[in-house]
Amino acid sequence: MKFKSDPTLVDFVRTEVAPEGLSFKPLHENRVAVRIKAEDADKLAERFISKFKARLIHETAVDLEGEGFDMIYIYDFSKVRERLVVVLEAQISKDDPSPPSVAKITWQASWAEREIHDLLGISPKGTPDPRKQFLPYEWPNAAESGTAPPRPDKGPSGPQEKWIPLGIMPNDAYATLIPIGPYHPGVIEGQTVYVKVEGETVVSADIKTGFHHRGIQKLIERRGYHKGVFAAERVCGICSAAHGLTYVTACENLYEAEVPDRALYIRTLLLELNRVHSHLLWIGVVADVIGWKTGFHLSWGLRERVMDIIESITGNRVNYGIWRIGGMSRDVSKELAERALPTVKALKAEMAQLLPAVAAHSVVKSRLVGVGPLSYADAFDGGAVGPVARASNWKIDVRADNPPHAMYDPKVISWEVITDDDCDTFGRTLVRVKELLVSSDIIVQCLEHLARTTGEVRIEPKVIPVNSEGIGLNEAPRGELVHYVRASEFNMNLPQAYRIRTPSYRNNALIPKMLVGSNLADVPVVMGSTDQCLACTDRFEVIRESGGPSHSMSWAELVALGKRRGV
Amino acid sequence: MSTHIKILKQVLQKYSSPMTLNYPSGVDKNRMYSQIPEGLRGFIERDEEKCVGCRACYMVCSGRATKIFDTAEKRTVQVFHFRCTYCAHCEECCPEEAIKMSKKFELTVTDKNDPKAYVNTDLKMISCKACNRPYLPEKMQKRVFERLSEKIDPKVKGIVVEDYHKTEGFCPDCKRARGVMLDTHTKKHVWLEVV
Amino acid sequence: MADLAFTIISIALIIPISLFLGVIYAFLLRKFNARFQWRVGPVVRMYSDLAPVIGSTRVWQPMYDILKLFGKDTLIPASAHKRLFTWSPYFSLFFSFAAVLFIPFPGMPLLSDAPYSLIVASYLLIASILFTILGPVASGSPWGAIGARREVELFLVAELGFVASLFLVAFMKGSLVIAELSGTVGSIPMVLVTLLAGITMFAAMLGKLHIKPFDMPEAECEIVAGPYTEYSGKLLGTYFLAKIFVLYNMVALFIAVFLPPVSSSVLWLPLYVVAALVLVFLLAVVQVLNPRYAIRKALTWYLKIVVPLVILGFIAAFALRMVA
Repeated sequence: MKFKSDPTLVDFVRTEVAPEGLSFKPLHENRVAVRIKAEDADKLAERFISKFKARLIHETAVDLEGEGFDMIYIYDFSKVRERLVVVLEAQISKDDPSPPSVAKITWQASWAEREIHDLLGISPKGTPDPRKQFLPYEWPNAAESGTAPPRPDKGPSGPQEKWIPLGIMPNDAYATLIPIGPYHPGVIEGQTVYVKVEGETVVSADIKTGFHHRGIQKLIERRGYHKGVFAAERVCGICSAAHGLTYVTACENLYEAEVPDRALYIRTLLLELNRVHSHLLWIGVVADVIGWKTGFHLSWGLRERVMDIIESITGNRVNYGIWRIGGMSRDVSKELAERALPTVKALKAEMAQLLPAVAAHSVVKSRLVGVGPLSYADAFDGGAVGPVARASNWKIDVRADNPPHAMYDPKVISWEVITDDDCDTFGRTLVRVKELLVSSDIIVQCLEHLARTTGEVRIEPKVIPVNSEGIGLNEAPRGELVHYVRASEFNMNLPQAYRIRTPSYRNNALIPKMLVGSNLADVPVVMGSTDQCLACTDRFEVIRESGGPSHSMSWAELVALGKRRGV
Repeated sequence: MSTHIKILKQVLQKYSSPMTLNYPSGVDKNRMYSQIPEGLRGFIERDEEKCVGCRACYMVCSGRATKIFDTAEKRTVQVFHFRCTYCAHCEECCPEEAIKMSKKFELTVTDKNDPKAYVNTDLKMISCKACNRPYLPEKMQKRVFERLSEKIDPKVKGIVVEDYHKTEGFCPDCKRARGVMLDTHTKKHVWLEVV
Repeated sequence: MADLAFTIISIALIIPISLFLGVIYAFLLRKFNARFQWRVGPVVRMYSDLAPVIGSTRVWQPMYDILKLFGKDTLIPASAHKRLFTWSPYFSLFFSFAAVLFIPFPGMPLLSDAPYSLIVASYLLIASILFTILGPVASGSPWGAIGARREVELFLVAELGFVASLFLVAFMKGSLVIAELSGTVGSIPMVLVTLLAGITMFAAMLGKLHIKPFDMPEAECEIVAGPYTEYSGKLLGTYFLAKIFVLYNMVALFIAVFLPPVSSSVLWLPLYVVAALVLVFLLAVVQVLNPRYAIRKALTWYLKIVVPLVILGFIAAFALRMVA
């Protein structure tokens, strides 16, 4: 399939959407880049959201070295014109890096503005929440572009209030401040949720991330297009298919891509298998959080069969490593597809029987119904994505609105977007349970097609052009995932900038909102209900090979350490 | 209560045959490699006969698991399993098809320098006749010549082979320096055709 | 004199027996649990290639876990009330072990024929649990405090069911001596009322043994390790040992009081084993099928279901006594 763009879109954007634009550049596949003045950013944001019901996908910034920064605002216009994405770009100088804040208009940009403040030192004017996002609160000052931030030579200098989040002060003596995390059995990965409880009722909450941030975006920028896919996959171990697909979609967006149909089917198949295993994993984790080890083992038992299919198809269990720009590196053979079909069908039957029973279990229901409420209005303003948004009765699904480079054409594959109007954790459970069944339908259709046909799976990409931009959108199991890539002006192999906005980045920001008013026992349930993936939010860890003396422990040393008593 | 019974039924189905699979190793007959899928990509295995040390795998390796060490006598092509991501990118790119992904996966060693964690291929290096610098594995030079003679246009084959023998044993720098002296310009045959 | 000697011998015997049975019950709970969850659980017969390395069976796994703890360092937090923190586990163990002596085992009446042995036994069991609350409160950890608070809330309602169902039987049979309760079967209506009390006792056992859905004091995902958060090493091992004895006690007490003739004579020993197995199996089934209740829900569940049943039992018992 060749991905073509609609040439009339630039005119549409020029006349109706953003007449303030200085210049308009059509990108591949219905994406339009508009260069604006930095002062217009908030005005445009207001108009986009109120008039066109557009959605801010991401706000970020690119370091142009000597020439300043480029602010980038990506808006989703898919409800107005088919697959239209508008990228606003505004250059600002390094002397006064303070563009107007968009977060004061739509709250969902809040984390993004905190992040660019952390990483590039840009401080938007009038941003509602100026605290650090990934850096520790006590970090002395923002990173200055070009120079490394000075390291604090001693611990937090100011009073303790300084690094305890806003709204929760230790002076409120009648309430208890409980930090959940960074290491807590209910949360597998590292993040801190500060909850203030009176008795066991949560009166206010706040969240702090950044315990995993290791700069994978920079890593991909230094690694080149073809190697980057393996790093991008490793952003997250659970939704690695989503990250792989989004990465290749973004890179294929840089040129007039052509991908063979068979490869599109394999991509869809893998993405949906990934979704099934991720949702089953989520059901298991929530069952574990509400103390039901049996539910955990049942759903992970089902998941294991999905993992076996994935392993047979791709050769690896977690990071598949078969995504390539322009196709896939492996084909699914006829025999394999025919062997996998009955397994998937049996799995679907078992899920259809078991999972609704689990959701209807009286004790499970008593733990989920009414817990972590999130209304449609809050979800829209906060920018919820994925099952969390759909459980608040908001019908967004990237696969339908702005499909990735995979086979989601409703004419070819029949599927539907699931929504639910419970607006709580129970609703999120139902959405995921129903999505599991829809996904297994898609898998069956893909496998049937793959068993029926043959063909090539990869078309070597053309030379990736300089000075181009690509946006990969995809529905990861947790929600909308965005990869933004800007090709370098000089180098054919390295991108100038690479940005990732993961679904948990949005959904985690909403956790404090959902927590207020709930019981302490429900805090891990609410935190789990967004299916948070902190590896995604903080993005990757790198083991540095050189630099610093490295020492690997011998077996005897390890045993001695285990037996050692006293400190 | 009815859901309790439904779940109990489901649970009892597998009471006598647990999901847990035995770890696929050991001497017990039931515990031998039982659940390894066909398409599994395990450790890299390199065919020492075929490998010519062309560095293609080194260039594409995303995790920098493949490394090249050159000394005066030999070139060592090394893969460190702990850094390998099993992406099989090198398998795709290997021009000699020397790299294959095996089905072995047991990585545990107690020492990082355990030879089990590495795949090394040693290749004899040639030193330049003029500057005495090691520049290419012997095997690779041979293979390049073979490929050249297979693929090349028969019209100019004679000239190319002749030139190849003239410059044999010089490193690229020395070859370039002696281009005029030995009359081995690479585009010579094009000029011959024009004339 | 012969009686005294027999009692002393049987007390010496009951120490290993109760420990052995407690460990076996704990093992069975784990094994049943695992099998219901599609897992293998502690292996009864070890794989032939591993047997020389780690032994031929893992039945004693619960005991090994505790023994391991005794080999570890014990840390005492600086903020703890030191004396209470260190002594609570030992008191808990002492009381739960002391209760063993007042509950009959087939062929060994032990001290169960002493006057008021029912009251003594139930007090000892309550005291044991009380010290699992006092220690954590003294630890100074917020998680310990929350865990202890939940333990208290659960303890209040579970204990209500426990004591009420014990004294329902005692009231019906007109005796406060366990040996007498376990020796007399009574008429058929009496057996029925005993069974009713047995059901409420089972529900109370769920709370006392922290079987799901009533394991909120130890809800690891919510409050870390709850009461045991700050405990480590020997002290934690002592608590776990106490838990093993409590498990044995609850099963033994249930059989003694609610399945009357079973623990009165050595001839009933096979039936005793079967009854214990069934009881542990039922506990495992409940454990497997239920998630954890939120604490409020658990309280209302006890008040709504167990308390009315007990009241019904008391009315029936009163009627029976009036008739007799």
